[in-house]
Amino acid sequence: MKIPTISAWALGLFLLLTADSAFAAADWRNLSPKEKDRIQRNYQRWEKLPPQDKDHLRDEWHRYQRLPQDERDRIKQRYDEDRRRRHND
Amino acid sequence: MKKPAALKSACKDFEEDLVLHYYGEGGAAERERVERHVSGCACCRRFVDDLQRLLPRMTESRELPQTFWDNYLRETVAKLAEQEEKKFCWRSLLAPMQSWWLPAFGTVAIALLAFGLVLGKGKLTLFADHSVASLPQEVLADGEQLEFFKSLDMLESLDRLDGREGGRVKPKSNQTSLPKIEWAAA
Repeated sequence: MKIPTISAWALGLFLLLTADSAFAAADWRNLSPKEKDRIQRNYQRWEKLPPQDKDHLRDEWHRYQRLPQDERDRIKQRYDEDRRRRHND
Repeated sequence: MKKPAALKSACKDFEEDLVLHYYGEGGAAERERVERHVSGCACCRRFVDDLQRLLPRMTESRELPQTFWDNYLRETVAKLAEQEEKKFCWRSLLAPMQSWWLPAFGTVAIALLAFGLVLGKGKLTLFADHSVASLPQEVLADGEQLEFFKSLDMLESLDRLDGREGGRVKPKSNQTSLPKIEWAAA
């Protein structure tokens, strides 16, 4: 009787641990394939960046986060337009 | 079996007294009063007769033969066994597996799984989203980090987009591997 009890406990623990990571990735699952691809590409580039460039980008991110919402929307819009233009060229 | 005749009704005022009289209850005066009424009332006399006929039958116990009790016990045990079998019928499917090797197999499977997880350092991709292979868990779990990496291209040109070009200091590194980065002039 002891072995099935221990097995059940072990299985429960395993499910608990895997459920944690499954729930953790919920944000990721909500992204579109295009967004996922972009994030992966950017992450790979980020990994190769020297520390000072990383620091700079982190600063930029914090600065961007501190901007008012309408300003952020405007920047995003300008960026999208630029990208579209570059893509068309 | 012949159905016993129903109890005849007596005078409403005497019904209860007649039953008590039958059981010998009540004082002498009360008994005399009831007897006097019964001698002059045909309904109540019939009621008393019926009581004398029916009540002893209600208390008599029927002796059952030993074979009845033997069968009763056997049938009860059989019914309980049948009920028990119905409740755990799924176990019969596993009957061949109920030897020592079922728990042993479970233990080995769990041990293998645990080893796999430890040696694979959590990179078990059986049920995993294969597109996340190159991203660490801390990034996947953090919505802000995902947003950061999604916006990385934009952050690289934030100065220009923000209209602050020329106002910010370029990082010291000259060997950036980002060809698309448009750092502001120092």
